[in-house]
Amino acid sequence: MPPVILVKNLKKYYQVNQKEPGFWGSVKSLFYRKYYEVKAVDNISFEIDEGELVGFIGPNGAGKTTTLKVLSGLLYSTSGQVSVLGFEPFKRQTAFQKQFTLIMGQKNQLWWDLPAWESFILNKEIYEIDDGQFKKVIKQLSEMLEIEDILKIQVRKLSLGQRMKCELVAALLHSPRVLFLDEPTIGLDVVAQKNMRDFIREYNKMFNATIILTSHYMGDVQQLTKRVIIIDQGKIIYDGLLKNIVEKFSSHKVIKVDFESEVEKKQLESIGQVKEFTRLHAVIDVPYNETAKRSGRLLNKFHVADLTIEDPQIEDIIRQVFSSGV
Amino acid sequence: MISKYWAVFKISWEQGLVYRLNFTLWRVRSVLQLLLVYFIWWTVFQSQTQVFGYTQSSILTYIMVAALIRAVILSSRAIDIAGHINEGSVVNFLVKPLGFVRYYFSRDLADKLLNISFVLVEIILLITILKPPIIYQQDPLILLLFVMSASLGLLLYFAIAFIIGMLAFWVESAWGPLFLVTIILEGFGGGLFPIDILPRILTDTLLLTPFPYLIYFPSRIYLGTLPPAEIIKGFIILSFWILVSLLLILKILDAGLKRYTAYGN
Ligand SMILES: Nc1ncnc2c1ncn2[C@@H]1O[C@H](COP(=O)(O)OP(=O)(O)O)[C@@H](O)[C@H]1O
Ligand SMILES: [Mg+2]
Repeated sequence: MPPVILVKNLKKYYQVNQKEPGFWGSVKSLFYRKYYEVKAVDNISFEIDEGELVGFIGPNGAGKTTTLKVLSGLLYSTSGQVSVLGFEPFKRQTAFQKQFTLIMGQKNQLWWDLPAWESFILNKEIYEIDDGQFKKVIKQLSEMLEIEDILKIQVRKLSLGQRMKCELVAALLHSPRVLFLDEPTIGLDVVAQKNMRDFIREYNKMFNATIILTSHYMGDVQQLTKRVIIIDQGKIIYDGLLKNIVEKFSSHKVIKVDFESEVEKKQLESIGQVKEFTRLHAVIDVPYNETAKRSGRLLNKFHVADLTIEDPQIEDIIRQVFSSGV
Repeated sequence: MISKYWAVFKISWEQGLVYRLNFTLWRVRSVLQLLLVYFIWWTVFQSQTQVFGYTQSSILTYIMVAALIRAVILSSRAIDIAGHINEGSVVNFLVKPLGFVRYYFSRDLADKLLNISFVLVEIILLITILKPPIIYQQDPLILLLFVMSASLGLLLYFAIAFIIGMLAFWVESAWGPLFLVTIILEGFGGGLFPIDILPRILTDTLLLTPFPYLIYFPSRIYLGTLPPAEIIKGFIILSFWILVSLLLILKILDAGLKRYTAYGN
């Protein structure tokens, strides 16, 4: 089976008009324009198969949104090959548009002054969804998201979390096979973020939908995706299993320990690098292959009430990847 | 296919109802403007029976009809496109199987229907209160020509507003040009006075531009005193402008989308 999403040597350079400041600057720019180029996406390639849920991560300005916009047909590429479900996105063919959806965390499509329901009806007509299918999908989605009772309330009166859920329903009414989610958890509180993640995971399983999810929250990726593509300054610096990169960059483990009686920080320095310390509690980094030995020593020397060994935070790992390369 | 745009029409109508206060203020403003123009002309006719070839009843009729047409034509949502481009929500339409121009036209029509229903009530009220010597046109041919010219004028204004709205693909704000057009329209479109009271050469020149076909032309047809030759000439020029503006819409939309998809926003 060919990949659902294929990106080959994609480049997207923005031409930016360099404006000089002030009034005369803008008058001058009417006649004489200086351009400079922003290499938002600089020669990236990847393939994504049916049903995959892939995390597309990188710092702000890395080129994530630009990539999704090219995949959605909102931007022409500067060069390279892009195909989604066998279509060239920029042609914006109806048959293609009926099979994908783009959700941007900061943009909304719901009619702000009307109940979400009205926007659903509009999308039903736009995507030419028949009544039976429409009812089925609404029922399914609103049960999954637990929003049956807010569909008739003016969107502006909903909380951000509720609104985001309604946005999801509106964007998924036509049962798209491919989902592009651009920072879907941005601005949401912890509970709403978790709901959103749970939903995305469930949706992916239930409908075998192909999903690209961009984020700069590692939490999203950590809990959702097996495969990650890490992008920085328009270039892919890692594409593979999240697990592998965690292992590769896990030069150490993190020991969290509670003591029964107070200890001195000095005493702990023979165990490893002390990251946090409050007489009764400490967080210590130890070299990866010495984890067993060092934790054994810790248990022998001190009265330990509780001890856990964890992998380092994924944020730390990604930071390492960015600073050192893969 | 059509049901898509019917749905757009319906949701725009509901949206319009939400903004009752804004809408009411807009209607109040229109009524005040109508009253102002009405009384200016009323005063002019206190001392004479004919002004610039118009009788009192024909000018007052003209004012009323022009107010009706203004409400229909100027209530256009086409300019919203500028905001949608600037704030980026145009993305919502671009990723969907939805015709751009048809989308905005459907919204336009909903808004117009809302306005028509109000302006009819207003005018009937004003007529009942002021009891002006209005001409009730009964010639079916003239009424037909009136409706035709008004519909074409509606199309023309939509096209002009749409084109101005699309300027947002290139410039940050399209309000300047729109404001200018509104001014020209009020003055030379015939919203305040029939333009043929101006010096002959000015009238003739204006009649070559699109503006008088928005308000002046249909209102003037309604009076029933426009010679057939001028009606025919008017329809030809009007059709020409509609053709030009529709072609321009397609061209500019194409170029705008090209630019948009090349530069992002
Ligand atoms: N329309 C545009 N014109 C010029 N530069 C842009 C435009 N959109 C984005 N950029 C630039 O391209 C780079 C990538 O942006 P973006 O794709 O939005 O990154 P991300 O979504 O990963 O934060 C950034 O340097 C950004 O400033
Ligand atoms: Mg982004």
